[in-house]
Amino acid sequence: MKQDFSLLVIVAVVWAVLALLYATVPMFHMPGYAAVWGLGAVVFLALAAAIAAASRRERKRHEHHGEASHE
Amino acid sequence: MTPHPLLDHLKQLPAADKRLLLAFFGAGLVTLALGVLAGAGTALVRAGLIDPAPYFGYRLMTMHGINIFFYWLYFAQAGLLLAFSATHAAHARHMEWRRLAWLGYAAMVAGFVLSQVGAASGVPLLYDAPPELARFASAAVGSIYLGYLSLALGLFCVAVSAVASVVLPRFAGRTVSLSPIGFASIAWAGLLMVSALAAVNAFLPAALWAFEKGPLPEDYATGWHVLFHNMHYLPLMATVVTWYVLVKALFGIESIFGPRFSKIVFSTYLIFVPPTSLYHMFLEPGLAEPVRVVGSLLSLFISVPTVLVFLIIVASLETHARAHGASGLFGWIRMLPWRNPVMAAVGMAVVNLAAGGALSFVLIQEKLAPLLSDTFFVPGYFHFLTVGTVTLTFLGALCYLIPGLTGRPLWNPRLLAGLPYLATAGLALFGTAGVIAGYLGAPRRVLDLSYAGDAPASWQVLMGVVGTGGMLMAIALILYILALAVTFLKRAPQAAALDFGLPGWNLAGAVPARELAWTGPLSILILVGTMALFTVVAFEMIKAAPLAAIGSGAH
Repeated sequence: MKQDFSLLVIVAVVWAVLALLYATVPMFHMPGYAAVWGLGAVVFLALAAAIAAASRRERKRHEHHGEASHE
Repeated sequence: MTPHPLLDHLKQLPAADKRLLLAFFGAGLVTLALGVLAGAGTALVRAGLIDPAPYFGYRLMTMHGINIFFYWLYFAQAGLLLAFSATHAAHARHMEWRRLAWLGYAAMVAGFVLSQVGAASGVPLLYDAPPELARFASAAVGSIYLGYLSLALGLFCVAVSAVASVVLPRFAGRTVSLSPIGFASIAWAGLLMVSALAAVNAFLPAALWAFEKGPLPEDYATGWHVLFHNMHYLPLMATVVTWYVLVKALFGIESIFGPRFSKIVFSTYLIFVPPTSLYHMFLEPGLAEPVRVVGSLLSLFISVPTVLVFLIIVASLETHARAHGASGLFGWIRMLPWRNPVMAAVGMAVVNLAAGGALSFVLIQEKLAPLLSDTFFVPGYFHFLTVGTVTLTFLGALCYLIPGLTGRPLWNPRLLAGLPYLATAGLALFGTAGVIAGYLGAPRRVLDLSYAGDAPASWQVLMGVVGTGGMLMAIALILYILALAVTFLKRAPQAAALDFGLPGWNLAGAVPARELAWTGPLSILILVGTMALFTVVAFEMIKAAPLAAIGSGAH
């Protein structure tokens, strides 16, 4: 699950860098491209966060079950 | 008995989930039928067999492009994504947030209706609908943009529902780890969401202009290019994910490289999307020369993920087949169940992808793009991808999923197993004649190629071959639609066999440690050689042609 999270974060970073490039470097200046890649970075970051949250819930469940079985 | 976990899983889905999936697939087949009929009409106009009356041919071409590119490919994708995300793991029991997916379906259907109204009643703008071509704002033109916006809303809702189907079972503790298909579904859904946002970026200003609520968009072309880049990439991503699912379903095998590597490869699709997008801008006069060079170099990476998935699938299949007794360099290919319609469709899709992929590399080179982008080379090559690769894959998948969802055996599997070859034969005629016509300068999007008798005689001959190939493709696709419709509508036998009696080959089991798999790398070598050959031929032919390039927006 850590891999899933990492892969989506890498994707978000690549998209964010490209968005920044299109927004700020005069030679590449294309506001439309910057907006779409920037929004894309946000989407993939949100998906990574959803996976991380599911993973955290899973870990807590395991810990809880572990404690319960000890009791 | 051959294990069919995917069929098992489809059968166990709640009836409400099955209804939704069948609704998406049914709508997809309707849009495909309309798109194919309009495409066949366009091919006949091109061949000179139907009179290209003012607007009529362009209206047909507009309806062909809109129905195939925007609606067939996306209704089918929406259904496949929802099906794969709902069945991605053994304990994923049902679709999550089904109502949201239904809302998405309703929005997509509304979009389809609005787009038909716009295409049938207004100025035929072709599927990219540049507002400057319409010249005047009108409700009919606005209807096309509203249709696209409604489609975007629908795709966003579907994508969110698919993500929920993968992630929520983990919250509930029903699934422990994310399978490669689960991860691929999330990646695919993410790109769908981004494409929906890109559609709003492109079409909202145009819609406001059409309803006289805003100015003529100044930069429509850029918005279109970035949307188009995502939307022509998505069907290919969907295709390879579908291959991955179907190979597992048909042969009972997993990737020999392991699930972690599969996930890395699926994520490379997303990593390469933005950097490879610049080649769509090659014909824009304002683009700086260094940007053209960088874009040309980066665009070479566009096929990397597809090639990697191809290698994973072919190597996994070959090693398992050899471990089960296949011998000789290509002996394992002969042993595949080619009489199974799903196998035949996927097999021909791979062949067509190689042809289309090799030709596409000619077009994304910065020096050749201005010379070829407005010629018939473009439809000549991209039909290898849209029809030969993506559509055949999706129809192959429906040959598996519709029986799985309805419990009814596939109607006439023998006929269905032959249709990929008929479609590919038509495509070979259409594509070969189209590419040659493009090399000889025949323009695309010009339906009357006579130029008052000044056009080269070869153009009309080649367009005749294009028309013949187009008709063969249309016949194959209409037969597919009819066969799937009969499968859907006929009464189910009381006790249908789980695998519906289709030929199969279960390769599940341990693979010996040292099995060689040559076919994948050899195919890539041939592909690279073919790409180089096509490029050299293109340069030589164009150097010999007495023409000058005056470009407009590339597509």
